Amino acid sequence: MKRVIIILAAVTVTAAIARAQAIPDVPIPPDVPDAGSGEPKPDPVPPLTPRNTEVPTTPSDPYPSPPAPKPKQKRVSTSAYCQWEARGTECMPEVLTTPTGWLLPGAMLYSRTGLDTGGGVSSDSRVGLGDVAEFGVATTDSVRARDSSADLRATRIQPYVTASFRLGIDEGRLFDAQPGMTLGFRKSFERNHDNFKTKVAELTLVASKHFGKNVAIHIGGAFWDASLEGDFLDDDVEGRSEVTLHGFNDTKKQVRPFGGIELRPLPSSQILVDLGWAPEFCYQCSNFGDQANGAKFGATKIRLRPILSWGVRTQLAKWMRVEAGVRVPDIGEANLLDAQIFGQVSFTSGALRTAVESLQ
Amino acid sequence: MTAVVLVMLLTLATTHVAVADEPRTELETAPARRTREQKLRRIMRGPFQSSRLYTMPAADTVGPYILSISGDGSLLQQPGILTSAGVIAIGFGDIAQLEYRHTSAISITGLNAPVPTVGVQLKIPIPEYPNVPAFGIAFRLGVPRLEEFDGVGVDETVNDLFLVGRLRFEFARWLTLHGGVRVSSAKIEITNDTVADVRKAGCELATATAALACSRTLWLPTGAFELQMTKQSKIVGELAVAPRFRYQPGMAADPEIGYGLLGRFGMRWNLLPSVIIDGSIGYQIDVATTAPDEGPGAIVTWDIRLGAEVFVPWGALACRAVGAFCE
Repeated sequence: MKRVIIILAAVTVTAAIARAQAIPDVPIPPDVPDAGSGEPKPDPVPPLTPRNTEVPTTPSDPYPSPPAPKPKQKRVSTSAYCQWEARGTECMPEVLTTPTGWLLPGAMLYSRTGLDTGGGVSSDSRVGLGDVAEFGVATTDSVRARDSSADLRATRIQPYVTASFRLGIDEGRLFDAQPGMTLGFRKSFERNHDNFKTKVAELTLVASKHFGKNVAIHIGGAFWDASLEGDFLDDDVEGRSEVTLHGFNDTKKQVRPFGGIELRPLPSSQILVDLGWAPEFCYQCSNFGDQANGAKFGATKIRLRPILSWGVRTQLAKWMRVEAGVRVPDIGEANLLDAQIFGQVSFTSGALRTAVESLQ
Repeated sequence: MTAVVLVMLLTLATTHVAVADEPRTELETAPARRTREQKLRRIMRGPFQSSRLYTMPAADTVGPYILSISGDGSLLQQPGILTSAGVIAIGFGDIAQLEYRHTSAISITGLNAPVPTVGVQLKIPIPEYPNVPAFGIAFRLGVPRLEEFDGVGVDETVNDLFLVGRLRFEFARWLTLHGGVRVSSAKIEITNDTVADVRKAGCELATATAALACSRTLWLPTGAFELQMTKQSKIVGELAVAPRFRYQPGMAADPEIGYGLLGRFGMRWNLLPSVIIDGSIGYQIDVATTAPDEGPGAIVTWDIRLGAEVFVPWGALACRAVGAFCE
C-alpha cells in the first residue's frame, strides 16, 4: 500500500513540475508534409508567444547558459622565468648562503631551516612586501670568533640573530635582458659572547640573470661593517673599548664581491655554487708591531672570511625544497678540515598572498 | 657605498611602470558617500590619502571624517631597546588635520615614554593642476627629552614648522617629488654641571638655578621622492637635515646645536585600501646620546623600521551605524 502511495506521489510531483515549466519561447516548426503527397499546404502556424509581449525579431534561447566563470587571474610577472605559478619557476631569495637579485612576491611567506655536521643550526623566515621588497628575521651560524691568534680554529657564535630588508626590481621589468636587482640591508642584534659584545651589518647590491630557463648567474657586492666591544689586553684603555670595521677608514676592508651559479639539469633539481663572506672576530689578537707602520689599532680583531658552498636543491613539492651540500667556512686558507656537510629544508606559502588578493 | 645607493636610485628612477599610468576609475578617486545605505565594503575601499612619508609631512591631509592611526618600530636602533613612534591624525575639512604624536623606548630595564605632543597640518587650498605643485604647512610641538649622565641633567626640546611642497608630473604619473624646509627651534638645557666662564652665542646661564640653556633656530632642507612601482606599492626615499646636539658632560664647554643627516629608503605597500605597510632602512643620528657622529658610512648604526598606517573612515561608519554625520 505504501508503495502505491509513494508511486502516486512521485508521479504527481513530477507532473506538477512538468506543468510548471514555461512553454519555450521558440517558434515551433510546422509539420512538413511529404513532398509527394500533392495536398495543399496549410497556412503556417504562428509561433506561440506569451501575451502582451512583442514578437521577437529573432529567436532567442529560452534557457541562456550562465556566464562562463571568469578565468582565475594569473599573477603577472615580468620575468619569464620567475612566474611562481608552475613548479620549477620559483626564483628563490638565496642561492645557498648568498642573496640573489630576486624578491619574494608580495605576501609570499618563506622559511628555511638548516643543520650541518659542525653542529651549526640556522633558520631564515621572510615575507614579501608589495612585489618590491621583503623583510626577514634569521639566525645565522656563519659568524665566528677566536680568543687570540694562537687559536687555530674559530668557534661559531650561534645563534646570531639578524634582521634583513631587501628592496628591488624584478628581472625584465625595464627591458627584456635586464637582470633582477636588489639592494639589501642585513643587521644583527647585539650579541654577547665570552663577555665581548659584537654586531655585524651588511649592505648588498646584487644582480641575477637567467640565461635560458636552466642557468642563472648572480653577481653582487657587499659593504660590510662590524663592531667588537670588550676589555682588550693590548689597548691603553682601562675597561671596555670598541673596535669597528668602519673605524679603520679603509674601504677595501669593507667591500667584498660575491656571487653564485644555478644550474637546472632536471626540472625539479638544481646544482648551486656560491661564494660569500662572513665576519670573524679575534678578541685578543694584536697588531701592536704593525701600528708603527701605520696600521690602525684592532685591525686584526675583525676580518672578513670567504665562504664557498656547493650543493643541490631538490623540489619535493611546489611548496617544499630540500638542499644539501658542502660549505667551507674559510676557503681563503684552503682549510678543508673545517668543511661541513649541511642539509636544509625550505618552505614557501602563497596562502597569505591569496588571502590578501581576495581582500583587495 | 654612497655610489651603490645612487646607482640603485637612478635605476629605480628610470623605471617606467605601465600600471601607474593606467587611468584611475571613479572607485579609485572618489571617496564613499556618507549615506545609511552605503555598503561597508565600499566604505573601506577608500580611497585614502596619507599625509606623511616616513618622518616628513606631505602637502596633503587625511581628509574629512577620516582618522589615521600609524606607528612604526625598530629593535635595531639601540641594542636591546624597542624604539617606536605613533601618530593619530584626524582630518578637519579638506585642508586641515590635528595630530597626536607619541614616542617611546621600551627596554628590559623599563619604559621611557616622553610626554606626548600634538601638531597641526594644513593644506594650502589652491586648485590642483598637473605639473603645478601643492603646498602645505605643518607645525609640530617637540618631544621634551630629559636624560641624566652621572647626575648631569640634559633636557632637549625641538619645535618644528614645516613648509612643504608636492609636485606630480603629467608625463610621469609614477613619480612624485616632495621638498621643503623645516624651521626648527632647538633648545638644550644643562643642570648640575660645571660651566665655562665664556658663553657661546645663543647660550645663557640662569644665575638663580645655575642652569645653562642654549637655543638656536635652524633652517633645514628636506626632500623626498615616491616611485609608483605597482598599483599597490611604491618606493619612497627621504633625505633631511636635522638638528643635532653635541655636549660632553664635565668638559666645562657650552653645548652646540648643529646639523646632522637623516635618511630613509624603503617602500610603502597598500596591503588593503585602508592599510599601508611601511618598511625602510635608514641612517639616523641619535640626538639622545652624546656619542660622536660616525657618519652614514657606519652602517652598523643603521636600522630597519617596520610600520603601518590604518585609515578609519569614522564619518561614513557612524552614518551607516547610527545615522550620524551623514551627508
